[in-house]
Amino acid sequence: MDALHQLGSGFVVALAPINLLWAFAGSVLGTAIGVLPGIGPALTIALLLPVTTKMNPTGAFIMFAGILYGAMYGGSTTSILLNTPGESGAIMTALEGNRMARRGRGAAALATAAIGSVVAGTLATIVLTFAAPTVAELAFVFGPADYFALMVVAFTSVSCVLGASRVRGFVSLFAGLALGVMGIDAQTGQARLTFGSPELLDGMELVVVLVGLFAIGETIYVASRYSGGEVLMNPLAGGAWMTREDWARSWKPWLRGTLLGFPIGALPAGGSEIPTFLSYMVERRLSSKREEFGREGAIEGVAGPEAANNAAAAGVLVPLLTLGLPTSATAAILLAAFQNYGLQPGPYLFLNNPDLVWGLIASLYIGNVMLLVLNLPLVGIWVRLLLIPRPWLYGGIMVFGIVGVYGLGASELDLAFMALVGLAGYAMRVYDFPIAPALLGMILGPMAETQLRRALAIGQGSPWTLVESPLSATLLVLALAVLLLPTLLRRIRPA
Amino acid sequence: MSAPGGLPAPASPAPVGRSATRPWWLGVAVAVWGLVWLYGALSLPQAATYAVVGPGFFPAAIGAGLVVLGLLLLVAIARGERFEPQEAEDADLSRPPSRASFWMATAAGVVPIFVIRPLGFPIAAAFAFALTARAFGSRRLLVDLAVGLALGLACWVLFSRLLGLSLPGFPPLGVS
Repeated sequence: MDALHQLGSGFVVALAPINLLWAFAGSVLGTAIGVLPGIGPALTIALLLPVTTKMNPTGAFIMFAGILYGAMYGGSTTSILLNTPGESGAIMTALEGNRMARRGRGAAALATAAIGSVVAGTLATIVLTFAAPTVAELAFVFGPADYFALMVVAFTSVSCVLGASRVRGFVSLFAGLALGVMGIDAQTGQARLTFGSPELLDGMELVVVLVGLFAIGETIYVASRYSGGEVLMNPLAGGAWMTREDWARSWKPWLRGTLLGFPIGALPAGGSEIPTFLSYMVERRLSSKREEFGREGAIEGVAGPEAANNAAAAGVLVPLLTLGLPTSATAAILLAAFQNYGLQPGPYLFLNNPDLVWGLIASLYIGNVMLLVLNLPLVGIWVRLLLIPRPWLYGGIMVFGIVGVYGLGASELDLAFMALVGLAGYAMRVYDFPIAPALLGMILGPMAETQLRRALAIGQGSPWTLVESPLSATLLVLALAVLLLPTLLRRIRPA
Repeated sequence: MSAPGGLPAPASPAPVGRSATRPWWLGVAVAVWGLVWLYGALSLPQAATYAVVGPGFFPAAIGAGLVVLGLLLLVAIARGERFEPQEAEDADLSRPPSRASFWMATAAGVVPIFVIRPLGFPIAAAFAFALTARAFGSRRLLVDLAVGLALGLACWVLFSRLLGLSLPGFPPLGVS
């Protein structure tokens, strides 16, 4: 098999000592930020971007993958032991996992989460190994109009699915699009919306917006509504590990979780919240010990969502690597990281940079095993991270944000934008605007514009060229359906 | 558009604090942002000879979109749309937000803009750190400043000396 051969050479890359070291560094860092509140994988990778530009891209992406996967392990640890999900994908895990921990079965819950993550992560990576080259092959058929339509689907679905209302989702999306058009127009060299400032010719920096929205916005928000942050630990003692019965009850949820997580993660706006929620509902329905759910804690309710969470993360990589289409905030940052190196994810990446793509995929296998070793025996150490006093934790996040922003170009204007975007991020949290559409709009917007103008140039200006190919027509209809479906459902239901 | 300001104060026995939950300024801010982008885009060429749509087309469309969305937001607010704050770790949403902490944390983001060039990164970091810590209720100012300074120094050595980012050291002492 061609894919197996490619994967083999990928393992040669990933097993090089320096890359193993990067994978290890990423896994450790990822687990740490997964445990800590206020800082997630998207922000971490964004802060590392200025530093990693001097690194070899393969090593950098292997480290980023470690951060992505590690954050999920760390998130499930705090969900189970402290009932505080570090990542949104770990919310479902907290429901049953924390109940198990309170009954002294924390070790078993952690074990089924970690082993389930490895099982799901490995299975999903196997599917990714064989599906990605095929999808990349298909992507060669995509013309500019098809790409534009695909991005419209991503825009509408992310704005409609996430957040409290469609209007708020689209406000967030258009805010991102508006920031994305600032700077020199790549096709004509015209300065756009720079307001005469030479510093804005390069456009608004992504890191500035990210640090503002996540680090500053979150810090101001939590500070103004601070709960006092007492950390209650659950004892790890009792029934230490998984029993034979636990294994018997866990393996099917792992597989079902993978089955739900991978395809949904690969869809635009799929994310990890929906598959973990679905997996929880499925396991609750199928369990033979349904009475344990919501009382003493059912192990199926931990095993399924955790597997779904990890599989979704691998699923996100399919559209990112093959089409250059990010479907989550973290994937959007990864796309920006590719662009930082002058690389464009998509079918040509598989042809031009096989070492990078296959080294990255192979490192996912290695990272999963590494994380299992890092997490199961060392769980006590990770949880201790939460003993950092909250005032110092958020102070540290603030300082790292300033390092990331000022380190870019030593510009006070960037710092001012960071503070301004931070206040916007605060308002978005207070009034419940989703944040992911803004990032997706900012990163995908310029790409969508390029494809649109290219398509129109090919079609000599006729807007019909956008719907001439069956593929683009189908995609645009799909986007329209996503947009109108909630309204239609509301009209039909009362009748 | 029916003027949002012309709406009568809620006379009906609405939920407590209803008027406070009508953030008109959100819709206005979005629409004004759209107008600024629309104005900036219309001064650019809308059409190009061979590419058919010029550099101004996309920004103009975004500006127009923001104006429409701002108006839609105002309509939704007029209809009494509810805005629930998002859940976050360490945040207690049942209590009223603290104004003092809000301004303190905002200052932590703003103060470095003015001090980072004259006083250098480690000192700016110490200010940002101590202000954030105070926003989270810490009352040990000197300890916080010392920890922030140590963290800032560590970052400066790591990122500026070893990794080659440009963070100013201690300009008053002549160390750039």
